[in-house]
Amino acid sequence: MKNAIIETAKTLRERARRLAQPPAQAPDAGSMLEVLEFRLAQERYAIETRFVQEVQPLRDLTPLPGTPSFVRGIVNLRGRILPVFDLKKFFDLPEQGITDLHQIVFVRAGEIELGLLADITVGVRHIPIGRLQPSLPTLTGIRAEYLQGVTDEPLIVLDLARILSDPKIVVEESAEILS
Amino acid sequence: MKWNVATKLGAGFGLALLIFVIVGIVSYQATVRLVDASEIRKHTYEVLEQLADLRLFLKEMELGQRNYVLMDDENDLESYQGALGKIEPTLERIRKLTQDNPHQQARLDKLEPLVKSRLDFSAQTINARRDKGMDAALQLIKSGTGTQLTDAIFKLLGEMDNEENELLEKRATAADADARHAEETIIYGTLAAFIFAAIAGFLITRNIAGPLGSLTAAADRITTGDLSAIPPQSARADEIGVLTRAFDRMIQSLRNMAGVAEQIAAGDLRVTVQPQSERDVLGHAFVRMSDNLRQQIGGLAESANVLGTSVTQIVAATSQLAAGATESATAVSETTTTVEEVRQTAQMASQKARAVADTAQKAVQISQTGAKSTEEVISGMKRIREQMEAIAGSMVRLSEQSQTIGQIIATVEDLAAQSNLLAVNAAIEAAKAGEQGKGFGVVAQEVKSLAEQSRQATNQVRTILTDIQKATTAAVMATEQGVKAVESGGRQTEAAGESIQILSGGVTEAAQAATQIAASSQQQLVGMDQVAVAMESIKQASTQNVASARQLESAARSIDELGRRLKQMTERYTL
Repeated sequence: MKNAIIETAKTLRERARRLAQPPAQAPDAGSMLEVLEFRLAQERYAIETRFVQEVQPLRDLTPLPGTPSFVRGIVNLRGRILPVFDLKKFFDLPEQGITDLHQIVFVRAGEIELGLLADITVGVRHIPIGRLQPSLPTLTGIRAEYLQGVTDEPLIVLDLARILSDPKIVVEESAEILS
Repeated sequence: MKWNVATKLGAGFGLALLIFVIVGIVSYQATVRLVDASEIRKHTYEVLEQLADLRLFLKEMELGQRNYVLMDDENDLESYQGALGKIEPTLERIRKLTQDNPHQQARLDKLEPLVKSRLDFSAQTINARRDKGMDAALQLIKSGTGTQLTDAIFKLLGEMDNEENELLEKRATAADADARHAEETIIYGTLAAFIFAAIAGFLITRNIAGPLGSLTAAADRITTGDLSAIPPQSARADEIGVLTRAFDRMIQSLRNMAGVAEQIAAGDLRVTVQPQSERDVLGHAFVRMSDNLRQQIGGLAESANVLGTSVTQIVAATSQLAAGATESATAVSETTTTVEEVRQTAQMASQKARAVADTAQKAVQISQTGAKSTEEVISGMKRIREQMEAIAGSMVRLSEQSQTIGQIIATVEDLAAQSNLLAVNAAIEAAKAGEQGKGFGVVAQEVKSLAEQSRQATNQVRTILTDIQKATTAAVMATEQGVKAVESGGRQTEAAGESIQILSGGVTEAAQAATQIAASSQQQLVGMDQVAVAMESIKQASTQNVASARQLESAARSIDELGRRLKQMTERYTL
């Protein structure tokens, strides 16, 4: 009797082992890229989560005079004053005005910490690095420069390190005033 | 040929008769000759018979003599005596029969002595037997004298037989020739007579029947009235010629009469007819006829003139009469039509009046019903207004409550958005935690999914709510319009009620008036019917008048025409 139960359990385990589907390529830290996806003017963009600090709804944006057009203003994030950039201005995408529904993705690369304005934050996801393609024909100019890669969906993965290290984002008041 | 018909007939049939007579004579002569020949042949046969008898008797005698010599029997002597007695008459008869033949007579002259010698010898033999016995007799017989005599006799007899047979043969030949001759004469004679009679008959027939036939045809044509029939011209002197000329004269006479009749027919009554004789019935009848015609036509012409004048006047009068009658008939007909139209109009008016009266009665009822209905409508409108006001209040409350729902939904939406953001931040935090935060990342994903579902649900609720709000708004507006419409309807209904009350009074009065109009119109219609009937009678009488006038006129015209024709007819005659 007991032997029979053991035998049955063994048989079932054996069958389960044979029917089981092995997990599709266990995510490998080296081959997968963890990104935060968001939307800008109906286009899908993503940035790596290692740069992302947090996401907050857009509140209490204070416009800052004497700054380039891509700087929409400053916000207070738990006592820290941070600038908010509008990538649409940066990428020459169509402007639709700012509402409460917009969200700010706070990013940090090294010493630089700032907020990026996003229409909708979709969520965190993993994409294989192998699926990233170098570029798209529709992306030209400055967008091509900041591009880390494009998936076939298409999802545009931005190279945030390059964006934040770009000298163009440095605000030089004197120069701005002079110009 | 100057022979008349009788001569021709006599000559033809006489010739045929003559031939028949000749044939008869010839046949008679032939018959006589045949009879003669028959007689001579009979005579010859008799001579031959007698010669045979003589031979027989001589034999008998000799046989008797011999028997007696041999037997000395008296019976034999008797037969001898018998035969002896017959020989002499036979010889005499032969002589008599052959009197006309000198050859036979000469032979008989020779025969008789021989027979006598033989008889004498036989008598001598018999006497010798009786007297001197058998031997002496035999002596005599043996001498042979008897036998010689007998041979001589038989020889002569044979010659005579031959002679007679030759004669018989000659005569038979002659008789045959005669008979053949007679036969030929009869056959050819009869044939000739027949042919001749046929030819004569044909010639006579042609000569007489032909002209008579054509005369008969001419007479037939005259009988049918064809006087152009010309009889065959004949210069013959016989009866046919005379008949033909008489026919010719008759036709001439008839033609003269016909000519006169033709002239009278053409209207020329001046012709005078001369009767051919006292007994000329046709001529006298013509004279009387033309005289009577002359008198009658003279009278007729005068009468026709008088008649023509009178009839012309009558025609004029009747024409005027007919025209007058026609005009009056037309007028009457027009009047009748007008009366009929008036009558129909009156009838229609009467019908309409009745219909109007009925309609007015119905209208009175309807207006009364309408008045009641109006009152009911007014009270109904009031109830509707109250209901509408209640509905409007409910709708306003509904609208307010849906506003509240909208606020709640906004709150829920905000909560969903915050949950979503929270989930994203949780995921980011999980990512920062690395391997240890992986399970938390899954939880954050679930939270995000829930937030998404709540957002979708609130979206659906919002959509529904929006529809409800729109519907509510429309309902509120409709209710308000309904309230207003009900109010104005109530006012209008009250006004209509008053109008209907006034209308009902007016309709009642109109109904009374319509009833009175219908009664009057009915009386008018009856009167118009009487007028129409009277006018119809007048119209019929007038139509009959016109017809009578027309008939009178046409009769007068017929008489006029008749008079004219009579006049023309009399004018055709020349008196």
